[in-house]
Formats: sequence, structure tokens, C-alpha cells
Amino acid sequence: MTYGWTGKILRVDLTSETLSTIDTARYVPDFVGGVGIAARIAWEELVPGIGAFDEGNILFLMTGPLTGTLASGAGRVEVLGIAPQQNPAVFSRSSMGGHWGAELKYAGFDGIVIHGEAARPVYLWVSDGKAEIRDACSTGANVWGKGTYGTTAILRGIHGPQTRVVACGQAGEVRSRIAVIQTETGNAAGQGGFGGVMGAKRLKAVAVRGTQGVRVADPQGLMDLCMHSSREGQSPHSGNYRKWIEQRQGKDGPSLRLKKCGFCATPCSYVNAENAGLPNGPTIPSVALQCWGYERLSREADAVMRAMTSDYGLNGWEISYGIIPWLQLCKQHGLVDSIEGFTIPMPEKPILYRRDAIPPSPEFLEMLIGKIALREGEFGDALADGACYAAERLFDGQGAPLLDRIYPRRAGQTSHWTGHWGTGGNIYFPHWLVPILQWCVDTRDPASDSTHQWAEHVLQYVAGNAGPRPGPISDEQARHVSATVYGHPDICDPTLTYETPEVKTIPALWHSHRAMLVNSLILCDREHSRIFSMLTEDHVADTKIMAKLFRTCTGFELSQDDLDRAGERIWNQLRAVDVRNFGRNRTVDLSSLNAFVFPGKDDGVALDQERFVGLLDNYYERSGWDPATGWPTRGRLEALGLDDVGAELTVPEEGIVTG
Amino acid sequence: MNLNLNQKPVPPKRSGVIAVDREHCLACRECEVACSLYHEGECNPYLSRIRIEFSDFDPGAPSILVCKQCDWPACAFACAALWDEPALHIDPESGARTIDPELCRGCGACLRACPLTPERTVIGIDNRERRPLYFKCDLCNGRTEGPACVQICPGEALTFIPAEKRRR
Repeated sequence: MTYGWTGKILRVDLTSETLSTIDTARYVPDFVGGVGIAARIAWEELVPGIGAFDEGNILFLMTGPLTGTLASGAGRVEVLGIAPQQNPAVFSRSSMGGHWGAELKYAGFDGIVIHGEAARPVYLWVSDGKAEIRDACSTGANVWGKGTYGTTAILRGIHGPQTRVVACGQAGEVRSRIAVIQTETGNAAGQGGFGGVMGAKRLKAVAVRGTQGVRVADPQGLMDLCMHSSREGQSPHSGNYRKWIEQRQGKDGPSLRLKKCGFCATPCSYVNAENAGLPNGPTIPSVALQCWGYERLSREADAVMRAMTSDYGLNGWEISYGIIPWLQLCKQHGLVDSIEGFTIPMPEKPILYRRDAIPPSPEFLEMLIGKIALREGEFGDALADGACYAAERLFDGQGAPLLDRIYPRRAGQTSHWTGHWGTGGNIYFPHWLVPILQWCVDTRDPASDSTHQWAEHVLQYVAGNAGPRPGPISDEQARHVSATVYGHPDICDPTLTYETPEVKTIPALWHSHRAMLVNSLILCDREHSRIFSMLTEDHVADTKIMAKLFRTCTGFELSQDDLDRAGERIWNQLRAVDVRNFGRNRTVDLSSLNAFVFPGKDDGVALDQERFVGLLDNYYERSGWDPATGWPTRGRLEALGLDDVGAELTVPEEGIVTG
Repeated sequence: MNLNLNQKPVPPKRSGVIAVDREHCLACRECEVACSLYHEGECNPYLSRIRIEFSDFDPGAPSILVCKQCDWPACAFACAALWDEPALHIDPESGARTIDPELCRGCGACLRACPLTPERTVIGIDNRERRPLYFKCDLCNGRTEGPACVQICPGEALTFIPAEKRRR
């Protein structure tokens, strides 16, 4: 009897239209689930030399052993594959909430691994242990060419109102590099361009319905744990959400409702209590109003633009924080004035940070989103690949250097909670050294699973947070928490900078390893990993909660230390895929710094690049990675039980060619 | 159960009830999972005694469907009318209108009799065995902390009202 996991992963080959299953037990408990299993399968099956839109790319839609259980945050899904948004494309990850992940577990599968490319547009229908590849252009289910909302509605009409759907929109069909995989109106796997991978595979949607449930090893234990576990997130002010609902509804009247994903205790966004619409425009289903937005538009216009973005299946984060400011920068440098007859709005003063860009009109946005989604015209076609690729193509490449303000370019994603370009909150030197380290070694914006957890905790809980608003926990208490959680008392000390590298590299690594657990178990990255708590006497959060949840759900007696080692194993497995298949090395890691050489947006402090290299050296050393190449060493891989990876990745004696 | 229609009938023991406040419900469905975990030992909203109906495309508050523990339980009368040893009984301790799965014959009389059927159905059918088994909210009979759904609800959208505090 399997507990936690359903025991089967669905494998779909769209080229031959065949279905089979993978035994989950092959990969657990060593790789936990979610990202861990996908990383391992990618290592075993993804050969070097494959591009994001190639038939050989594998798309993973993964859940974990906690998905669909009572553990808060257990509705999430991890999406992996070679990601077209990154420049160049590399194996990366994205995740989404909603109800789909739990439904897949209830339908009897721990994940779906999608190979090949269908000869005709198809969708996948999964229900209670069975799966079918179906025609996406048939009279009854003519979903190809539709937006994600229409696709969801049509598939629910066919398979029942409780069917959960993930889909790509028109943007995915035209292989936009910034196309998302959308579920319902409020959730998407946004970063990485995985909607474009679906489109390239001619896979329009995956519809799921399940009634089978997830068996757990210790029902009473899980119940007790979930009833009494903390509901604190990354801020000392979260937790009492009844109060939050009342405050919010009092402040904005009944026009706004809190919103959250399925199977989660923490609300994380808002929706308009009524469907939004512009004068003379269509009425739009209410969409989630947090995390990103077309800022400084009216709430109605913002909701309509967000809904258009979700329906076409586009990455609004990239449009709002990447493409629009980049176009304004290009105009400031005389490269462009208007698009399709619409004048690009431009601020008077130079754009140094995201906050300096000005909001476009709803009309401009409507035009821009539509052109991008359908690849219409020169601009629409170029910008559908994201600003990062468009800059190489438009204006004879003259706009490309302007991107340095906005992106670590190889990721094609704006930095976030890193103190520079400026999406996310404020974070002050030296605390932003940790996120920059995480940026250097990751394949995507590490904010969602690693940076947020460090930056928000240190900013919002600690008195000495290097910023103007001290948190509620005194520096002395923070030293105690730091010693307990990270094994070093000085991690949150705002006076320590480059000269004590371990103070930066310990949290960078700790959060990356924990992030792998969050992404593999799967939990919500807004709730985990926790460091501080306002509910315990010594302000240390329950850092063993993951092991407790894992044990009650799966029955495997792993300690938190065992589980942390699994996190490190997964992190190294992902790195190994990146090294072997995509040539990842120290040079690539350091290339991320292009976006962080400017003074910080909140403190004006500039990164000392020479001394930062010392931090990266220490990061490698502490990781057991070779400092010359940035590759995981054979010794460390073997210590993690990745002997076969170590054997394949051994650095030749003459060294590798970096470049 | 003997009902003599020439006499004023004696009502069965009253039950407590789970009161719902849909404005505070954010459709996380943790109640559904907690319910199935307590009753079935697995996480399975399909087997939950409480159901949350909502649509992401409709911004209104969700519907919370759970047994009202009626003072005059049509379900219990229907079961008793058909069977000498009725599965649907009034729990002597809590007063909860409860289905004994050992005794359920799968006839469905309770579901048909329930005034909430079909628009707001609160009696479920478990088809996993060879015969259908009907199930409904029993207020987590005997659970010291009260109904699991009430305890887990992060928004406090659910409240347990004991029999003596219920309106007539």
C-alpha cells in the first residue's frame, strides 16, 4: 500500500499517441516528489542538444506526496521542462496553485510526463486512473484557437463542472516564449514560457477529474499536525486571516474579496467581488489582484487587462515589468516612438528602476497584449518572445544593452526581492547579497521559492533589518533564531558584508535546499520555509514541520536532516542537468551580475563585484562544487547518493572549456 | 419508529448543527479534506460530508453544503419507514442524524426524502463497494474537539451550534 504518493506517474508520448505509467516508488523517498522526481527523470532521459520547442523536450506536470492532503498549500503543481523564456533555453521550473494538482492526485497520478509532439492539436483527459488523448479540434471540443477561459468552459461542458483544467492560450499555440500554463482565472505557471512548450507539442489542455483520494499513513497524526500547525507566512502580520478578511472588506467595502488556492490556509490575493468591465467593453471574469499587475491603472482597467493576459495565456509579469519599461527605455534612447500608431508613453526623467516607468493607457495595453498574444506585426511577433529575445531582433539590437537594468539576461526574468530593478518589496544591503548569490546559481528568478523566504523574513521580523522600519524581533533574539535555524548566530547581522562570506552563503544554500523540498513535497512557497515565528516563545518557527508532514503522510521515517539532505540532492541533481545538458559553469553563474551592478534601489549601495566573487567561491566550497568550474564534485555527488551523476560529470584532468 | 397520526407526534432528540457563513469562505476546501480524513482515513473531497461549490469564473461567495440536522428529519423517517432496523438513526448522545454504514442497504430513500435534494444535496453516495453506501454529516460523532471541518476552517466560516443554543 502506498501512502502519500498514488504510486503512478502518467507518461504520455504525443508523437505515437501512447500512454504508459512510471512507478513512483523508483524515485522515492530519495527524490521526494515534484521537482525532485522531474529532475531525476530529466537526468535519465533528457539528452543534450534539445531546444525548448523541439519534439525531444519533456514537459513535466508534477505533484508531490503532500499534494491533495490536509497539509496547507497542498494544491500546488510544479511544471518543468526546457524553458523557452530563458536565453538561452535551459531546463527550469515554474509552479502554480489552484485546485488542479490535488485533482490529479485524486485521479490517481503523482504527475504527468509529456514527450513528443502531436500530429494534430489534442488535449488530455485524465479521470480516475485512466487517461485519453483527445482531438482538440472536434466539433464538440473545438478548443484549439480558444483562450484559456473558453477552453476551460468547453472542457467542463464535456467532462462535468467539477473538471479541473490547465491550458495554454492562443499565445502558447503560436509558441510565444512568454506563454503561461493557466488554470482557472487566478493561477498560472507563469515563468519559463511553458505554455509555449504545450503549444509546440500541440497539447492544448489537460482536463482532470478524480474521486479516488489520497491515502495517508497516519490519519490521526496528520489531522493533529494540521489542526495545530502555525498559519504564519512570511510576515508577522499574517496568520489571523479572519481579521484580515474583515479589515480588508471594511477598507475597500464589499468590492474586494480575499482569494486563495485550494487546500491552503493562507489567502494570498484578492478578486473584485463583481466581474470587471470597461465602458463599452466586455465583462471579464474576476481575476486575482495580487503578485503582479498593470500598476496605476484603475482597478477596473487593471482587472480587464489581467484577464486578457490570463485568457490569451501570457506572462503578465514580463509584459508589465519587462517589456513595457524596456520599450520606454528604448524611446528615451531614441530607438522607437510608437507601435502600430500608438505612442509609447515615456517619463521625463531617465528610467533607472522599475518605479520610474509610467503606466500606459488601457487602450495601449489592449493593443499590446493582443499583438503579442497573436504575434501580429513586427512588434507583436518580436515581443511574443519576451523583451530579452526581442532586444536582439528589434532596432538592430541597439536596445539590448538597455536590458541590463532590467534582467539577469540569461534568465529573461526580472529580478524580484533583490533590491535592484525593483519588483517585490524593499531589501537593503547587505541583505540583498543573499538573493544575488541565489540568482547566480539558479536557472530562473529564485524569488518564488528561495529569495522571498530569506528577504521577507529578515526584513519583516528582525529589528536590525538594515532598513527604516525595524521588525518586532530584537537583534539578540534574532541571533538565537539564527543559531538554531542556520547553525550560525550572525546570519541576520546587518553589519556583516563581504568579509564574512559564510554569513551570506549559509542562508543562500539553506533556502535553496529547503526550496527543493517545498517544490517536491509540494507545499506553498508563501508559507514555507519559515524561520521566525511570533507564536513561539523564542521566536523560532517549527523548522521540522516538513519532516513531520512527510512522515504522517507517507509513513517513511525520515528526520528533518534526512529530508534536508534530499533537498540538497535534488538541488545538485538539477545543477547536474544544467551542467551536462546546457554547459552551466562558473562563467554563466557570474554573467547574472549584469543586472546587479547598478546601485540598489532602496539604499543606493553598489555591488562590489570583486569582493562578491569571494562570496561565490565560498558558496561553491560550501556546496561541494568545484570552484574553477562551478560543477558539483564527484565526492559531494556520491555523498548525496548520486554516484552515477558523479561518474558522468567528472571534470576532465585538462579542465573544461569555459566560455 | 412508531408514528400515530392521530396523536401529536413527539419530536426526536434535537441535534446541534454546523452554521455556515459563506462570506468568510474562500473555497480552500480544507473542510472537505479534514472531513474525509476523519471519517474515511484518507484525503478525498469526494467522500466529504461537507461540500464547497464555487466557480473561479463567478466572483460571488461559494456555496457551503452541509446537513442541517433537521428537527424533523425526513431522511430518518424515510429510512425507518422502509426498514425494520433503520441505518439512519438519531445518535443518543449528540442527537446527530447519522447513517450506520453497517446497516445501510443503499436504497437511497434518505437522499430522496431530504428537502435539500437535489439542488443542495448533502447526502453523498459512496460507490466504491459492490453496493452503494450513503453517507452524511454526523457532526464527527464522539470527536472531542467537535466537528473537524469547523476546527480546520482558516476563515472561521463554520461554527458549531449545540442543540440547546439552536433556534426553534
